[in-house]
Amino acid sequence: MKKILALALAICMIACMFTGCAKKKETLTIYTWEGMFPQEVLDAFTEETGIEINYAVFDTDETMLAKLQAAKGGDYDLVIADDYIIETAIAEGLVQKLDKKKIENFGNINSVYQGQFYDPADEYTVPYGAGVQTIVYNPENVNIDITGYADLWDPSLEDSVGIISNYRVINGMALKVMGESYNIEDTAKIAEAGKKLQELAPNIRLIKDDNLQDDLLSGEINAAVMYTSQVTMAMLENPNLKVVFPKEGIGFGIMAGFIPSKAPNADAAHKFLDYLLQPEVAAQCFEWLGYYCTTAPADELIHEEFRGFLTLPAEFKAEDMEMIGNVSADALAAHDLAFTEFKSLCE
Amino acid sequence: MKKDKKPDMNRSYKWFVLPIYAFTFFFVLGPLIYMLILSFLMRDEVWGVTSTFTFKNYLDIFEPVYLSTFVESLKLALISTVLVAVIGYLFGYFMAKLSAKWKKIMMMLIMIPFWTSSLIRLYGWIIIFRANGTLDTILMSLGLTAEPLKLLYTYPAVVVGMIYALVPFMILSVYSSVEKMDWSLVEAARDLGASSMKAFWTVTFKLTLPGLLTGIILTFVPSMGLFFIADILGGNKVVLVGNLIQEQLMKVHNWPFAAALSVALLLIMTVMIFVYRKITKSKDLEATL
Repeated sequence: MKKILALALAICMIACMFTGCAKKKETLTIYTWEGMFPQEVLDAFTEETGIEINYAVFDTDETMLAKLQAAKGGDYDLVIADDYIIETAIAEGLVQKLDKKKIENFGNINSVYQGQFYDPADEYTVPYGAGVQTIVYNPENVNIDITGYADLWDPSLEDSVGIISNYRVINGMALKVMGESYNIEDTAKIAEAGKKLQELAPNIRLIKDDNLQDDLLSGEINAAVMYTSQVTMAMLENPNLKVVFPKEGIGFGIMAGFIPSKAPNADAAHKFLDYLLQPEVAAQCFEWLGYYCTTAPADELIHEEFRGFLTLPAEFKAEDMEMIGNVSADALAAHDLAFTEFKSLCE
Repeated sequence: MKKDKKPDMNRSYKWFVLPIYAFTFFFVLGPLIYMLILSFLMRDEVWGVTSTFTFKNYLDIFEPVYLSTFVESLKLALISTVLVAVIGYLFGYFMAKLSAKWKKIMMMLIMIPFWTSSLIRLYGWIIIFRANGTLDTILMSLGLTAEPLKLLYTYPAVVVGMIYALVPFMILSVYSSVEKMDWSLVEAARDLGASSMKAFWTVTFKLTLPGLLTGIILTFVPSMGLFFIADILGGNKVVLVGNLIQEQLMKVHNWPFAAALSVALLLIMTVMIFVYRKITKSKDLEATL
């Protein structure tokens, strides 16, 4: 009898210890790329709520999905990743619906970035930064006024254009010039875009993903189609560069936060998402991150020198934008073929 | 008597070799089998694979664009190997004729760059080649060129990068065979009336040929797969098999096709080495490798 009592007491004590622990040190595990938040923003959140942040890092979306699959939607409280992979994660049941009552600032999201293919009813995600496909050029070395993708084909730009090697973005330029959608499934049309792209080859000086802005800044190239974060770095270094929102229409990608289906502390994740949607916090984050601001009231808080490349122009219409979404394997194969053909002609 | 002893030797020997066999089995043979299996599967819609058996990946290789990447790779590998052979042979030959002290110094100078990552050394070439970079500045201050040249992101830049990355292997293998050579044979040839050129071609060159051939294999094989040089110095415009494989893996997420390309590359290399050995009749190639 005594033994049972002692055992019960011990169990009680251990249980108390654990609950005590959890209360004292509530943690939020965020899983995303390295360097997605300024440290002050994370510190301020911990100070405000007492929730400690545990920051886990992945380098590619695919790694994230694999880990999340292995953890069966557990281990992490909040994941921030790219749109296309979120679509897969949701389809596999790894994502839980947001409790919008817990996110008072949900209405602050810029509606341009809502209702997209990966989360059509905005049930699962909160966007955190968007990459917007612009053209950047150095007006000092370029004699024409670039207003759209079609201008990149201009013979005066011979051997002076740099592009990233994302084949959906680059083939997409040709598709846009043809007046087609980024997400077209018709392989014949994709092949046609590839032919159109081949005419661009003489103008291409460089295809690379890492630090393309350096080549624009050093004068190795005069015009570029690059990632948003690179545009930001280039503009901060040389404000005389010009950012163009292509008149054919704009492609974009969204990074968004979601809560895994078995998140240990979904409550804290909701709190954090709500916190991020505060205009002041958002402005601070996006200036630091260098991606387009997805929180509407934060637009006006973003400093003047960033506004030209972190916020959309006022005259901008949502229907001019199109997300680059998932397409079928056949369409991807056609894209790849077109892009490889194009690349082998660049010399 | 020898025969009696041998099995005994083997038995104790086996236990030491076992870890190496295990390592080879799991980390060389294993991945190869995995790659082979992968190359017969279908890709999934977004990423990953489905377990449907198909030959499609191999048929896709015969698409002219993809086929041309093999030709491109062979072309670049041949150009680089020939240039590396010429530069490396001369360098190795004269290095072996230096005094012992200078040999040591030269050896150090060849080895030191290996202490830094090859990627970082390639970025050094960017600084030299880029517009208004080191080379441009020198050429312009000498009055040889009037304005910055477009040196970076060109084919010659890639070739320079390839030579730079591969020439040490050639130097070292030529050096070791020239060093081992018996110079009295050359002296004998000269005594018997051969000109210095004739003595070189009939004696020195023939005796150092194994070193040169090893160097050629050591250069040619990796040069088929060095994709990052074309990436970094060529601005990604020269599409090699290596680039294609890397792109299929990392960007297109078509793993089965990447695996099929790798298997094809592996087969081509195996055949080439086999033919090369038949032609040159160098049976001791494994030993020198």
